[in-house]
Amino acid sequence: MVFNSLTFIAFFSVLLVLHYLPFTWKVKKINLLLASYIFYAAWNPVFILLLWLSTIVDYFVGKSLYDQNNPLKKKLLLVISLIGNLGMLCFFKYGGFLLENFVDLVNLVGIDFHPAKPNIILPAGISFYTFTTLCYTIDMYRKESKPVESLLDFSLFVTFFPHLVAGPIVRPPQLVPQFATPKVATRNQFIDGLFLLSLGLFMKVVLADTFLAPTANQIFDSKEALGMVDAWMGVFGFSGQIFFDFAGYSTCAIGVAACLGFVLPQNFLYPYAAIGFSDFWRRWHITLSLWLRDYLYIPLGGNKGGISKTYINLMITMLLGGLWHGASWTFVAWGGLHGIYLGVEKWIKSRFNMVPANSLMVPNQLNTNSFFSINFLKAIGTFLLINITWVFFRAHSFHDAWQILRSMFDFSFKEKPILQNIDILKVGVVTFLMVIFHWLFRNTKILTETNKWSWWATSFVWAFMLVMIYLSQESTSSFIYFQF
Amino acid sequence: MYNFNSMELSKNKRYTFLLTILLFFFGVLSWEFYLRNEGYGISYDDGKEFWAHQRRMVYSPKEESTVFIGSSRIKYDLDIESWIKETGDFPIQLGCVGSTPIPVLNNLAADEKFKGKLIIDVTEKLFYNFRNWPRDKPDEGIKYCKSETYAQWVSYYIDNFLQTFLVSLDKENFTLTPLINKIPLPQRRGVETNQFFPVEFERINKYRQSFMTDRFANDTFQTRKVQGLWKLYGEKGKKDPPTPDFKIDSLIGDIKLKIDKIKKRGGEVVFTRTPSTGLELINENKNYPREKFWQKLLEVTQCQGIHYADYSELTALNCPEFSHLDQNGARIYTKKLISILKEKCGWKFNKTL
Repeated sequence: MVFNSLTFIAFFSVLLVLHYLPFTWKVKKINLLLASYIFYAAWNPVFILLLWLSTIVDYFVGKSLYDQNNPLKKKLLLVISLIGNLGMLCFFKYGGFLLENFVDLVNLVGIDFHPAKPNIILPAGISFYTFTTLCYTIDMYRKESKPVESLLDFSLFVTFFPHLVAGPIVRPPQLVPQFATPKVATRNQFIDGLFLLSLGLFMKVVLADTFLAPTANQIFDSKEALGMVDAWMGVFGFSGQIFFDFAGYSTCAIGVAACLGFVLPQNFLYPYAAIGFSDFWRRWHITLSLWLRDYLYIPLGGNKGGISKTYINLMITMLLGGLWHGASWTFVAWGGLHGIYLGVEKWIKSRFNMVPANSLMVPNQLNTNSFFSINFLKAIGTFLLINITWVFFRAHSFHDAWQILRSMFDFSFKEKPILQNIDILKVGVVTFLMVIFHWLFRNTKILTETNKWSWWATSFVWAFMLVMIYLSQESTSSFIYFQF
Repeated sequence: MYNFNSMELSKNKRYTFLLTILLFFFGVLSWEFYLRNEGYGISYDDGKEFWAHQRRMVYSPKEESTVFIGSSRIKYDLDIESWIKETGDFPIQLGCVGSTPIPVLNNLAADEKFKGKLIIDVTEKLFYNFRNWPRDKPDEGIKYCKSETYAQWVSYYIDNFLQTFLVSLDKENFTLTPLINKIPLPQRRGVETNQFFPVEFERINKYRQSFMTDRFANDTFQTRKVQGLWKLYGEKGKKDPPTPDFKIDSLIGDIKLKIDKIKKRGGEVVFTRTPSTGLELINENKNYPREKFWQKLLEVTQCQGIHYADYSELTALNCPEFSHLDQNGARIYTKKLISILKEKCGWKFNKTL
C-alpha cells in the first residue's frame, strides 16, 4: 500500500479509530501489528512470509547473541543472522545481477554459457527492513542495547508500517522503548502529524509526480540526441523528483507515526542547501548515512588506519551504499562518484587546513543572513555537482548516462529541442524555489518554522497543499524508493 | 527527531486545523460548482485501472456478455445502455482510444478461461499500424491487470465511487497536469505544438463508453477543430513508409491463429467496421481499399464481418468530426448492429432466448 492512495486513507482512518478506542495497550499494539501486515500484504501477501522469517530468526538470534558469552558461538550466531538477512537480500535483489555478471565473466573467458534469465520479484522494502533487523542483531552482538523482551514489541519494531517499506531506517533504541508505555498523540502532535502527512503528500503527488516526473522521464527515456537546455532540465527535474519523492515519503511516515503517538527519526534536512558533500550526506537520507557510518564505515576501520585507509574505507562505504540502492553498476558508479567527491573534499580540507564542518552528524550550521554569500555559491556548486551524480542514478545504462552528460556540456546548440516551454518553466520554477527554500530553512525544521507563523497563515498554506493534492490526483504511482 | 510535545500553541493548532478543513472544502467545492456551472458533467478516468476492471469481467457465460475490442470508434459508437436494453446482456468495453486491438486479441486468445462472444472493430489506420505507440495503451492495461495489487484494486473502487459524484475528478481535463499544460505560452522553436482535444469531445461514462456531448456535436467551431486534428495526424502518418504486403499478410495470418484458438474453445468472433465520414472516409478508402484489407481479413480468418457501408441506415449516420458518432448516432448504430448480429450471424441474446 502506498501513502498516496485512497486505500491508505481508508486504512488509516480505520486504524486511527481503533487506536483511539479504549482498548488495552497490548490490544492496541496487536492492532498496529496486524495493520502493518495488512499494509504490507496489500501489495503482495506472499512476501509477508519473508517478513515473518526475518522477524522470528532475528528475535531469537538477537536474544541468544546478547546472552552468549562464548566468542565462537557468538560469532556463529552473528553469521547465521547475517546469512539469513543478507542471503535473502542477495537472492531477491541481487540474484539476477550476480548471475548476469557471472555470465558476462565466463563468456569473456570463452565459455559459452547462457542460462535462462531468472524472474525474481523484488519484495517491496526488503533493503529497508533487512537493515532494520541487521542493526538489531549487530547491536546485540556488540551489547550496545538490550534485547527486546517481547516478540510482539520486536515484530512491531520490524514491521511498524510507517517505516516498513521505505524508511526512515530505525534503530531499536529509537523505537522499541516507545512500545513500552501506551502511546496516543497529544492534540498538537496529532495536528502536526496530519500537517506532515499533507506536506509529504504535496511533495510526492504535486511536486514530484505532477511537476517534475514527466520532464525527467521524457529526457531520461529519450532515444534522441539532446540539447544542453533539455538535458539540464531533465536532470534538474529528476534531482527535484527524487528529493520530493523520497523526502515526501519520509515526511508522510513521520506524520503518520505522529498521529499514532510515535516519533520517527528525521530523514532529510534540506540536502540541496548542503555546503560540500559530507554536509550533503548529513542531510540526505540521514538514517541510511548513519547506518552506513555505524555498521560499515567504522567497522571497516573508519579514519583510524591512516590517510589512505580512510579514503579506501570511504570509497568502499559509498560503493556499497550505491549498490544498496539498486542491482546495477550505474548505482555503484553513483556511489563511487560520491566517494570521489567526499575524498576530494576531505583532501582539500586537510591540505588547506580548513576547519572540518562541525561534528560528524550535525549538519553544517551557518549564518545565512547574507543571502548571496560565498557559502550560498558553495551550496549552488555542491548542488550542481550532485546533479551530475543523479545522471548515473537515473539513467538506464552507462551509455545513456554518457549521452546525457555529453548533452549537458554540449555548447553547440545543434540538437533539436524536445521539451516544451511549459516543461522548462515547471522544472525551472520548482527547482529554483526548492533551492531557495532549502537555503533559507537549512538551519531549522519545518514544524519549528510553521509554529512561528500566524495560525491563519499556516491554514492557508496547508489548505493550498491539500487543494493541490486534490487537483493533482496522481494517486497511485509508487514511490521511487520502494524499488530499493 | 521532531519533538512534538514541546510545541506550544495548542489552542491555535485547533483553529489552524479547523480553518484548513474549511478552506480545503471551500476550494474544492468552488472548483466543483464552477465546472458544473460551465455545463460539464461526470466523466470517469479511462485509465488502466478501469480497463483492468472491465477485463476481469470477460468470464461471464457466453449467453450473458459480449466483449468489444477496437479503437476509439467502437468506444463512441457502441451505446451500452441501448445494448443492455435491447439484449439483456452486459457488454464489456475493452477498446482503447488511439490504439490497435491486436494486443487485447492476443491476450484474450491466450486466456484459456475466455470462451465468450468477441467483436473486433477495425479502424484500419490503427489496426494495420506496425509502430509501437498504438500498442501502448492496451499493453499498459494488460500489464496492469497482471500486476494489480489488492491496495490498487481497493483504490480503484473508492476512486470510481467518488467519480460518480465529482466532475472535478476528471483526470483528463480538470486536474493539475492538463490545466498547467494548457497555459498559453509561446511555443519553443522546433518543438511540436501540444494539441488538445476539446473537453466535451470525449466524456467517459460508467460503462467505459466514450461519448461527445450534444453541445460539442452541435458546435461547428469545436467539431472543425477536431476535424483539423485528424487532418494533422493524417498528414503526420503520411510520412511513414508504406507497409509492405507481406507484413499485412503476416498480421492477418496471426490474427487467424488467435481467433481459431478462441473459436476452438467455443467462443464466437465477429469483425465490425464502424462509420466514418468526410475527409477521414476519403483517406481511409484511398489508403485501405476494402478488397485488399477488409475482405481479405474476413476471408483468411473465416469470420463474419459487419461493414457499416453495407447498410443504408448506417451510411446515413453522420460523424460530426468525421470519425465518431454522436450519442444519437451511437444509439441507432447499436440497435442496428444487434439486429444484424441476430440475423446475419445468428447470435442469440438473453432477451431473445
